[in-house]
Order: sequence, then C-alpha cells, then structure tokens
Amino acid sequence: MQNKLIKWIDHRFPLTNFVKHELTGYPTPRNLSYWWNFGFLAGFVLVLQVVTGIFLAMHYKPDATLSFDSIQHIMRDVNYGWLLRYMHATGASAFFLVIYIHMARTLYYGSYRAPRELMWWTGQGLLLMLMATAFMGYLLPWGQMSFWGATVITNLFRATPYIGDQVVVWLRGDYTVGDATLTRFFALHYLFPFLIIGGVVVHLVALHTVKSSNPSGIDLAARDNIPFHPYFTSKDFYGLGLFLIVYCSFVFFFPDSMIEPANNIPANPMQTPTHIVPEWYFLPFYAILRSVPNMVGGVAAMGLSVMMFAFMPFLDRSRIPGGASNRPIVRIGFYLFLLNMLVLGYVGATPPTDQIILVGQVATLFYFGSFLLIPFISIAEERWLIKRGLPPEVEALIASEARGKIKLPFRRRSGDIK
Amino acid sequence: MRKFIVILMLYCFNSVVHAEDVRLGNIGVDASLPALERGADLLMNACHNCHSLKYVRYRDLSAFGFDKKKVDGWRGDQPPEAALIGLLADESAVQMFGKVPPDLSLMIKAREGGENYVYSYLIGYYITPEGLLSNHVFPETKMPDVLGVSGVTDPVQRTEIQGKAHDIVSFLAWAADPHQEERHRLGYYVMVYLLVLTALLFAVKNQIWSRLK
Repeated sequence: MQNKLIKWIDHRFPLTNFVKHELTGYPTPRNLSYWWNFGFLAGFVLVLQVVTGIFLAMHYKPDATLSFDSIQHIMRDVNYGWLLRYMHATGASAFFLVIYIHMARTLYYGSYRAPRELMWWTGQGLLLMLMATAFMGYLLPWGQMSFWGATVITNLFRATPYIGDQVVVWLRGDYTVGDATLTRFFALHYLFPFLIIGGVVVHLVALHTVKSSNPSGIDLAARDNIPFHPYFTSKDFYGLGLFLIVYCSFVFFFPDSMIEPANNIPANPMQTPTHIVPEWYFLPFYAILRSVPNMVGGVAAMGLSVMMFAFMPFLDRSRIPGGASNRPIVRIGFYLFLLNMLVLGYVGATPPTDQIILVGQVATLFYFGSFLLIPFISIAEERWLIKRGLPPEVEALIASEARGKIKLPFRRRSGDIK
Repeated sequence: MRKFIVILMLYCFNSVVHAEDVRLGNIGVDASLPALERGADLLMNACHNCHSLKYVRYRDLSAFGFDKKKVDGWRGDQPPEAALIGLLADESAVQMFGKVPPDLSLMIKAREGGENYVYSYLIGYYITPEGLLSNHVFPETKMPDVLGVSGVTDPVQRTEIQGKAHDIVSFLAWAADPHQEERHRLGYYVMVYLLVLTALLFAVKNQIWSRLK
C-alpha cells in the first residue's frame, strides 16, 4: 500500500528522488565538527520564532493604546502565554547567538571562499533581514525602550542625501513614532520571517550545489563523504538537545535577563530614558555608530560595518586551504577580531564618557582595519607559509585528495618560489 | 545584560536618578503565601490609596490561593473581576503631588535592580539636616514616607519596618510575575526531560557513527 502510494506520488512529483538526493544520499564531509551544527540550529530557531510568533499574534493588539496591555494580557491571562512570549523574546537572542557563531565559523574556516561566495552573500542578506525583523519586533511591546529605540534608529535615515526627512516620515508613517509606525512594523514583522524562509531556501539550494565546506578546507573526494542522513541528522539532533538545554534554562529561569527594565514601562513620548540602549546583538554596530562624531558618517560607518563581511571573498585571496586553522597570523587576527567585538559591545552598552568614546573609536578603527588589512596579511602570510611549508599532515591530505580528485586550483602569483 | 547597563528610569519629567549614588541592599523575595498575604495587606493599607495595580484583579488573588475572606475584605463591593485600581482620582493626585502615582503592577520589573531597588527605596527615607524629608535611593520622590521609616531610630522598630517593606516587595514581585512559581516548577521538568533526551540523542549519534570505520 505504502509503496503503491509512493509510486503514485513519484510518478507525479520527484519525492523519492528528492529524499535520496538531498538527504539519504546527500554527500557530507565526515570531518565536520560541531561548529557545523549552527546552520541547522538557525533553521530550528527560525521555525520556533515563526510558530511562537503566530500564536502571539492571535492575542496581541497592534495599537498604541492597547499593545502594552495586550502583552500583559498574554503574560497573565492567556494559557501559557508567558511561555510563548518568553520563548519568542529569548528566541530572538538565541537566533542572533546562533547566527553569529555560524558566521564566526565561516570566517574562521574561510568557508566564504570559492566556490561558496553566493552562500556567504545570501547569508549576508539573511542577516540584514533578521536584523530588520528583530528591530521591528522590538517596537511591538510598546515599552519605553521599544519606543525610543525605534525613534533613534528611524531617525538615522535622516542621513539619506536630499530626501532624508521624507524618508523618515515615510518609514514612521507620521512625524514621530506612533500608532502608524506600530501597525506597519507589526505587518512587516509578520511578513519578513516568510521572506527569510524564502532566503533560506535559496541559501540551501546554493549549499546543496557546492556542498558543505569542512575543517580541512580541502574539497574532499567522494570516499571521505558520508550521507547526511542518518549521520548528520543524528549529530544535528544531539546538538539541538544541547542548544535547547541552554535556551530553556533562559526561558524558564532567567527570561527577564534579555528584557530591559525600561521596557516594562509603557511608551511615553514626553519622557526620554536617560540611556537608550539597543539589544545586545546590535551593541557593537551601535558603538560604531556613536564613534563617528558626524551623524551621516556614523550611519555610513554602521551600515558599512554590517556589510563588511560581504567583501570577505574579495579581501581574503589566500590560497592556503583550511582557513584560520592552517594560517597562524589569520588565526590571531580572528581572535583579536572577536575580542574587539566584545569591546565594541561593551562600549555600545555603556553611557558615553570621553574615555568610552575614545575606546570605541580605537575599536572601530581596529574593526575596519582588520578587514582592510586582510589582503596584505593573507598574501604575506601565504608567501611565508609556502616558503616554510605547510604542516606535513596538511600536505599529505592535499596530496591524497589530489589523487582522488582534481588538482587544487592554485593560481600562480608573482613572487612564488618555484 | 542588565549587569553591564546602568539605566534608571525617570519617575517624573526630567528627573534623573544615578545608580552610582546609591547602594542597594541585596534582598531575596519571600514567595511564601503568608508573606504575600502580609504584603498584600500592607499594600492595600499603605499604597492602594494612591497607587493602582491595574493588571492584577481580585480574582487573580483568590485564584492564586490568597485567603478568600481577606480578598473579599480588600475588594469591598467591587466585583471579583475588578482590577486593583487605586482610590485616588488622577486629577486629585496631580493637585496633591503634581503627578499621577505610577502603576505598581510591573514596578519590580520596571526598575534596574528590581526588588532590591524598591526595597531600598521604601526604607530609604531620611530627614535632611535642614529638616526636610528625602530619600537615599530616589531624592526627587513625591511619595510621602508611608512606612514612617525616617522618624524611627530604634533598631527594633526599624527592623519591623524593614520586615514590612520586605513583605510589600515580595507581594509586588508576585504581582509583576504571577506565573514565576509555575514557570520554575515546569522548568525543572523541562530541564530533566531535556537532559535525558540529549543523553539519548548522544547515544543514538554514537551508535550511528560507530558504523563508520
């Protein structure tokens, strides 16, 4: 009966073929570490956010006079409404955490390099959409920080040349953030996740074309690949279990740690909070914004700081496989970059004093500097590494893979030793 | 995050409180029913004349297990569906204090420092050398010293007032997060479940991967 049904479907839709091609027969490098779990986790959190979000929308009221009350209605009266809301609020932070680790893994292992540039760029697009969704969702509780955060950020669009003021009014639907802003942010906050799902499909189609990168940085021959299912489904689900332990400990025991106290006060346009801070996941970029004294410059620097990642395939021209694991200088640079992100995050969260501003400016310079120096560092390092020779095990792997497959696309470059 | 960030909200227009000026005592809330009932009793007498708790209804109190008679006493002739709305009309409040007293439903969550802030505020009243009433935590406050802590020097009496403040804060903490106990209870089951599930998933993963040579 079942076989008959599947036959019937297969005649009309490539079901068996699809499962075989994308799951049970999909070749995956067997040496993937747990750092490769985070793409799957991001997909899981996306589903979690969509599901909890839809149920929250059944009880939420996007109206400046009702929204704050409707959140309290969800928290107090709706059956397990507190669970839905805390899952959704914590889920936003979890989403960014997972995505940032996913990105850090790509940067560390140089997975953005050919032929995976389109994966990296679709991922960059997804990051921008995620940021927009999180920003708009943050307005919906209509607390003080929601209101003032949205006011500050929409105000940044004043930096648009010539039509800045009109753009701000167009975004807000009013001269100030108000009911019109709330309703449109709600509509778009509901729309964007579905655009993100579309983007994820593109991201996955690209992935299944170029296949996963792996820690060695060398495209492995068929004998080193194993089917995605059951090997990586089981590994991903184990990773999911670990993720859920961390996530649920926040949801059940520290749910308010991600919610600003000021956001438990209803929005009041007449009363500015002493210190407006964005959520933690925006802090480094917010610090860059504040580090540039000029507003237009600050907005440009902040926009560029998010977009810098997209240039990585052009900036990093090194031919050494395996990303930072085989490249000692880039590895040091990677850890310094992470450290610098923490410094920027701290600066973004701290009220600006002269000292903090100076630290922020130095960290901003380091942030952009680390991107701009990559071309020079990576070529100098490459020359040094080729002269010194790669570690024997890497050389051996390259040699054995080259036998099983095509030769590595080593472009020749002036200055190479013969 | 709140560990890093120092924001204190304004009680009224343009008045700023800096947390650096103040040392908050670290108190735990007493979530036991008797403490909550004592706190509610004190609140209905000392705070409810001016302050509302608009997200808390009388039936929420009885549903949680507060003594029915006490709830009926506080409720008077209002229906059980009624929220704990303060007795003072907004207009008279503005006349008397220059502003509407803030709603207390979310007070514990709405202040950096939470219960520690509100507790320290309540017992933070003192008489300045000029003979004026002030508050260590929030000098600009318009609220009178309802617990009468400023005029008391006797340690026994002070301890008694601190106990009252502690009960009020405990009740307010419940009012701000009435599902906390339920959340924690469910949370323990969820954590145990997830630990077992993850251990099993780890075993499954190892089992499957052991097929590889």
